[in-house]
Amino acid sequence: MRKALFCCLAGETMIKISKQELLQIPSLLSAMGYRVIAPIRAGGVVKLAPLGPDDQPEVEYIRIINSPKKFLLPDDESLFRYRSTATITSYGLKIRFPTAEGPCPVTILPEYLPIRERLAFFGIHQCMVSSVRYLDKVMMSDPADPYYKNRREGMFIAELDCDEGDEYCMCRTLGTYKIPAGYADIQMRKSSSGYLVNAASEAGKELLSRLKKQDAQGAYPKPVPKMVNDFELVARDEQEIDAKGAPKSLEACTLCAACTVTCPTCYCMDIEDKFSLVDPSNVSRMRTRMSCQRKCYSAIAGGTAFLHAKEERFKWRVKHKFPFSINAFKLVGCTGCGNCVAYCPAGVDFREFVGRRVA
Amino acid sequence: MMAKAVAGDVNPYIPKPVTIITVKNESLETKTLRLKLYNWRLSFVPGQFVQLLLPGVGEAPFCIASSQLDQKHIDLTIIRRGILTTSVHYLRPGDAVGIRGPLGKPFPLDAFVGKDLLIVATGIGIAALKSLIIYAIENRKKFNDVTLLYGARFLEDIVYRDELKEWEKSINVVITLSKAPPEWRGLRGRVTDHLGSLRLGKGTVAAVCGSPAVMSSIADALVKHGISSGDIYVSLERHMKCGIGKCARCIIPGGKHVCIDGPVFRVADISIGAIGE
Repeated sequence: MRKALFCCLAGETMIKISKQELLQIPSLLSAMGYRVIAPIRAGGVVKLAPLGPDDQPEVEYIRIINSPKKFLLPDDESLFRYRSTATITSYGLKIRFPTAEGPCPVTILPEYLPIRERLAFFGIHQCMVSSVRYLDKVMMSDPADPYYKNRREGMFIAELDCDEGDEYCMCRTLGTYKIPAGYADIQMRKSSSGYLVNAASEAGKELLSRLKKQDAQGAYPKPVPKMVNDFELVARDEQEIDAKGAPKSLEACTLCAACTVTCPTCYCMDIEDKFSLVDPSNVSRMRTRMSCQRKCYSAIAGGTAFLHAKEERFKWRVKHKFPFSINAFKLVGCTGCGNCVAYCPAGVDFREFVGRRVA
Repeated sequence: MMAKAVAGDVNPYIPKPVTIITVKNESLETKTLRLKLYNWRLSFVPGQFVQLLLPGVGEAPFCIASSQLDQKHIDLTIIRRGILTTSVHYLRPGDAVGIRGPLGKPFPLDAFVGKDLLIVATGIGIAALKSLIIYAIENRKKFNDVTLLYGARFLEDIVYRDELKEWEKSINVVITLSKAPPEWRGLRGRVTDHLGSLRLGKGTVAAVCGSPAVMSSIADALVKHGISSGDIYVSLERHMKCGIGKCARCIIPGGKHVCIDGPVFRVADISIGAIGE
C-alpha cells in the first residue's frame, strides 16, 4: 500500500533520467491505470488539465492558474440525485407528496455512484502538494467527506521541485516548499544533465521500475527555493489582523473573488438543489464553490449578514488561512503559492498585510 | 498521513425521509411542524439541530423543539424569514421532507445539575431552547430554580401559548413585550431591563438564544449581573450548508465551526464579536 510509512531514507530509490524519459512518465502512469492530470500550456496560462494522448505536459513553468482542488473538490459536483413530486405552478414551485397513512410513502432514493477512477497528478510543485495536505486535514477529519475520500484514496502525486519562485511566491516564509512525509509518491527535479527522480512510496517505486534505469548514487537534494521577494510573518493572530488597517490597494477591489477561485486551499462551498424546469421532479443536490468575498457567504435568513465591508471580507480570507486554520486544523491554510496576488485584478497583496518585506 | 475511514462509511450528506403529521400555527409568521420518523429513531440532547431538506428548495438548519424522550417524532418551529422558511409555510400534513441529524454539540446538561437555570429567549430564539425547557421540566428535581425569561416584540409574536401556560405550573415564566399593546398587563421592555428583578448569583447558569445583536447585549448584561461568562451558554445561528464542518460557511471569529463545535457555545470560549453581527 502506498499509505505505508516510509520514514527511513534507505527505503527511497533515486534514478537519473533525460527530459524525454521524464515526459514518458504520464503515459506510464496511464498504463498503471491512473487518470493523469498534468500542467498544460493553453491560452497564455499554464493550468492543470486531464492529459490527452496528444497533449504535451509543461514542465518548465512557475505558476499554474488552478490547483488539485479543481479535481479533488470539483466546482460543480452532484452529491446525489433524488426524485420529488415537485411541480411548477404559476406561483412557483409546489411540493406535494401523497398523504401519509401507514408507512412512509416517500423514499429519498439517492442515486450516487462512487467514482472508481484513480487520479495521478504529474508535475505539480511543492505548494500544490501542500494544498493537498491541507485539504486532507479539512475533508478527512471526522466525519470524512465521502466524495473527497473516494478520490483521494489511491491517488498518485508526481511532484516536480520548484527551485525559483516568481515575484508573487511566499513558500519560503511558510515552509511549504518541504514535502510532508507521505505526500509525494515520486519527487522529480531538474539537475545539470536531465532530471533526478526519487521514489518515496511503493507505487512510486513501481513506476520507477518501469523506467528500467539503474539506481543513481547520492542523496536527493533538498534546497530551499529562491524567492524574488522575501517576507516574514508579522500578523498571524486574529487580534493582530483585526487591529491592522486594510491595505490601500483594497480600495480597487471589486469583490470579484479571483483570489478564492485560484487559491488551492479555498474550500468553502454551497450545497443547493438544482433541477430543470422541464422536469422539476428530478432533483440534483449540487455542491458548488462559494467565496467569502460574496455577501451570500455569511447571510442568514432574514438578510442578516456577518461580513459587510470588503475590508471585513478581505480580513476574513486572511483569518481563515492563518488563525482559524491554526486553531481548527493545526495547519496554516496558506501554501504561499501566490495565486491570489498574481491573479488579483486590483493588485491586492495579502503578503504586505500579514508580512513584512525582508531585504 | 491520511485519516482513517469513517465507521460504516455512511454518506453524511444523504437525508432520511420524514413526513409531516401536524402543522400548528404559533403566530402569524410562525408554524410548528410535527415530523414523524419511519423505521428509525432520533436520539438527541437539547441544543442539537437537524438539517431540514425541502425537496427542490434546499436545506437549512433548525433546532429540535420537542422532548428528547419522544424519539419517533420531532417538532421544528419555523418563522417565515427566507426562501426556504417561506416554502415551509406552504407545507401541509402528509407532505414529506428529509432530515439529517442530530448534528452539533448540545447543552452540557450535566454541568447544569444542582444549579439555578435561567433561560433567556427573545423572539423565535425560544424554539432553540424549547427542548431544554422541556428537559428542565421533565427533570425538575435535577435543578434548583428554573426561570424562563421570554421577550417578544408584539403580543402577536408570542409563540407556544399553550405550552407557556403548562410550563408556568412547574417553572418560573416571565414574559416581557417591548412593544406591548395598552391592554397588556405583564412586563414591558426588553429582557435586559428585567434581569435586575431576578435572583441571579454564582449558582446560576444561563442559556440564551435570540437574534445575533440581542444575544450579545444579553450576554453583556448577564455578566454585569454577576454571572460569570463561563456559565452563560448561547445558541448561535449561521447558515451552515453541510452541518459536518466541511463547507466552512459557519465559521465564527476564533475559527470555531458552529455546526460541529456548536451551535451551543460558552460565552467564555468565544469572543463577544462572534455572537453579534
